[in-house]
Amino acid sequence: MNTPLPPAAPPAAAAPARTNTISVDGQVVAFTPGQTVIQAAHAVGIDVPHYCYHPGLSIAGNCRICMVELEGSGKPQVSCKLPCAEGQKIRTQSPLALEARAGVMEMLLVNHPLDCPICDQAGECHLQEYSFAFGQGASRASTEKTHLPKNVPFGAKVVYDAERCIKCTLCVRFVDEITQTHELAMGGRSDHEIVIMTGKGEFTTPYAMNIIDLCPVGALTSRDFRFKSRLWFMDFTPTLCTGCARGCNVTLGARTGTLMRLEPRFNADVNRWWMCDPGRLGYGHVNSSTRLAAPRLKQKDGTWADVTVEAALTAAGALLREARMSGGGGDVLCDGNLGLEELLLAKDLAAALKGQARFAAAVGTDGDALLIVNEKGANAKGAEALGLARQSAPAPAVVLLVEEDANVGKALRDGSGAKLVFASDAAHVPASAEVVFPLPTFAEKDAWLVNVDGRVQALCASPQAGPQGLSSAVELLDELLTELASPAAGRTLADARAALRALPALAALTWTAVEAPASAEVSA
Amino acid sequence: MTTPARAPAAGRTPETKVLSANFGVPGSWTLPVVRPRGAYQALEKALKTLTPAQVTAEVKTSRLRGRGGAGFPAGVKWGFVPTSSPKTKYVVCNADESEPGTFKDRYLMELDPHLVLEGCLLAAYAVGASVIYIYVRGEYPLSIARLEGAMAEARAAGLLGAKILGSSFSCEAWVHPGAGAYICGEETGMLESLEGKRGHPRIKPPFPAVEGAFASPTLINNVETLAHVPWIVIHGGAAFAKQGIPPDPANPRAVGSSGTKLMGVSGPVRTPGVWEFEFGITLRELVYGYGGGPLPGRTLKAVIPGGLSMPVLTDAELDVKMGFDELAKVGSGLGTACAIVMDDTCDMVKACINIAHFFADESCGQCTPCREGCHWMEKIFKRIDAGQGTPADLDLLASLFGNIEGRTICALADAAVWPLRSILKKFRPEFEARLARPVAVVGAL
Repeated sequence: MNTPLPPAAPPAAAAPARTNTISVDGQVVAFTPGQTVIQAAHAVGIDVPHYCYHPGLSIAGNCRICMVELEGSGKPQVSCKLPCAEGQKIRTQSPLALEARAGVMEMLLVNHPLDCPICDQAGECHLQEYSFAFGQGASRASTEKTHLPKNVPFGAKVVYDAERCIKCTLCVRFVDEITQTHELAMGGRSDHEIVIMTGKGEFTTPYAMNIIDLCPVGALTSRDFRFKSRLWFMDFTPTLCTGCARGCNVTLGARTGTLMRLEPRFNADVNRWWMCDPGRLGYGHVNSSTRLAAPRLKQKDGTWADVTVEAALTAAGALLREARMSGGGGDVLCDGNLGLEELLLAKDLAAALKGQARFAAAVGTDGDALLIVNEKGANAKGAEALGLARQSAPAPAVVLLVEEDANVGKALRDGSGAKLVFASDAAHVPASAEVVFPLPTFAEKDAWLVNVDGRVQALCASPQAGPQGLSSAVELLDELLTELASPAAGRTLADARAALRALPALAALTWTAVEAPASAEVSA
Repeated sequence: MTTPARAPAAGRTPETKVLSANFGVPGSWTLPVVRPRGAYQALEKALKTLTPAQVTAEVKTSRLRGRGGAGFPAGVKWGFVPTSSPKTKYVVCNADESEPGTFKDRYLMELDPHLVLEGCLLAAYAVGASVIYIYVRGEYPLSIARLEGAMAEARAAGLLGAKILGSSFSCEAWVHPGAGAYICGEETGMLESLEGKRGHPRIKPPFPAVEGAFASPTLINNVETLAHVPWIVIHGGAAFAKQGIPPDPANPRAVGSSGTKLMGVSGPVRTPGVWEFEFGITLRELVYGYGGGPLPGRTLKAVIPGGLSMPVLTDAELDVKMGFDELAKVGSGLGTACAIVMDDTCDMVKACINIAHFFADESCGQCTPCREGCHWMEKIFKRIDAGQGTPADLDLLASLFGNIEGRTICALADAAVWPLRSILKKFRPEFEARLARPVAVVGAL
């Protein structure tokens, strides 16, 4: 639960002093005036089931699953909408509350198709979870179910199934309140009520896919992810989106070398519960069929041969020493998505080559007031803080590190004339390259990124995404520093991190997010 | 429309024509006809001699209870409106008369629209409202036309608009036609509809008196409730309170039923219609004495005392007085006081299908128990009707009633459960006789 803890109750003064507390199942629970019962209960970790309630949206009170017993009231009350009042006695587990909850569960399933075996939501479905917890185990509904539209496209990215839908209106409230684009509405009434799309059948907001995460059941599914994998075969990693410099916190789902999906992860200071569709779908380069999995050396006839890391390091060392001897100064051009640790070592490498480290990052025009920012370098702020200059026109460099096409575009790559290239994808290697190392993408490495607000956040490697067993760029750069006999050589990732923390230039950044990453994931 | 004025037969309680005083007068919906008959005298009296608080006090004294069905004391409701609020305040007249079998407000709007408008203006004066909306059921085109005609006449006569009757009180009024949804007669569903949204009832609190139309203080009353106010202002609340059924001193919850009430009868009776009585006549007199009783050769089987949304009473239970507390005491309710009669040709299983279908169709779909439950009940009744029901179905229905009633945002689901449960209870043998041989119906989830 995300709601900040209410302040401790003021010390009891004269007898009638308000304590701003209620009792929930006998436990004294403090509330801030204006909070509802479910909010106060969630804030202290008391679980009250809910479908239509979401802490980031207005309260609808329509699903009725959160009904609790309020002492003195004959009827069960919806705790999501019930304002906390001094001294209220709430029971979430009384016979009345449990009976009301079971009654709602039964109603929700009367016309539900119960098609869990072919439903993408299975495994993270609140209908399943609450059925298991509060349901009746056997159905009393032997009448024909009400049939509603299925497989309805909501634009190109979302698919709607009205029979699975429990009409909680979270999706409608999202486009009304968060994006204010109003592409969805409720249509029809009674058990024929469905979500309908207004306008021209496509979302105008780039945040539409959040409704898939919001949907507590399998009514809204992702065109990109549906039918690709059962959830229980996937591995989930709390990490970051690198689509722009916002640094939205995400959960990365992967399976046997393939990144399956990204979903937003709650962070009150960065992205709250949301992420944009381009970020969510911007993982194609991770699964590219031309990913590099082993170092390569260019042969005399111009063809490439896969070699061992050791052989490649030897060749790269020779290449770099020659560049240093030539006296021209060896510059290093870095992708703006690289982590602070990689950039730190790249900078040291440039120093050892008597050159400069620079970075390149794309700048978009799609920034908005919600999350998307124009700065596309996920760590551009970090690169600047480390003193790297931003490069936007082609310039010579000896070493090139490129994770994806957007930041270090073809013109910069080809214009660098770099002979030593770290690239995630063979398609990004310029013709000038002689030695190539595979570069892990954001999905495959542990790294610190600085977002647009100066917040240092941690990328975490997924054990399942991308080619397996890649050497980290930090390890390889350190080996190269050793090849160059640099005094900076000999550092691990942890050493690099310690050095970064000690850098005065980075002291002004917000480091709390790294200290305490991964706010508890909020159930939507 | 012809008026239902009929000479009372010997021995019948006579009508008391307060609201219906102008019914039957040619052109009673026009200002030149009704002004000489006293229209807007109460408004003039209030604006010239009474403060807004005094008007509210008179309504409190009158013990006038809401005529829309719930019977909440009107003066108390008026007192909830925060008159000191700096926001624009609204009076919304609930004229979305869509309760089945109910057509009393229609008579008022068609035959005496100025009385309705004057009641609205008095309420607006009392609570400090500057805008009146009369939310009229869309299927009432004549009511809409007559109300709009009355508003135009009143505006031209200085009775509506800026500085009414030369006073400092200014108030505008509009007719807002509904689009045919039963749920828009629920006061907060009506507010949503008025604001241009789907008629989805709101969760209370906040109550409309504090946060109603356009998030501003709003007084909502039924047509008939507001139409009583001019008489109360002219004659005083105490005179009104003397009429009808007094409070029961032994029961603090029985606050009595003061004044007169439009009451109606529909269904297979000889003379269906609407009449006006002081509270106190019995349901039997209404159905037999004025409704004329069952058609020749038929016998009376059941009566819903007011609209569709109340528990049924059998012939043996008809000697109850038509009053809020009296009907509650016998397990039913006054509702709209427009009785629906069912005779011996009425198949109670089919009646339940009809009732459940109405509520299933009119459920707004917003909250789970009503959205899913009403249609489920209809399907079960249909199965029983088809001879495929089992004893377990009757138990299932009883369980569903409990899972629907009191579990929803508004009272529509309660209104569906009450008549169905009472019919199933009082006519259970009729249902049992239709059941198929018992078979197991519980399957795996």
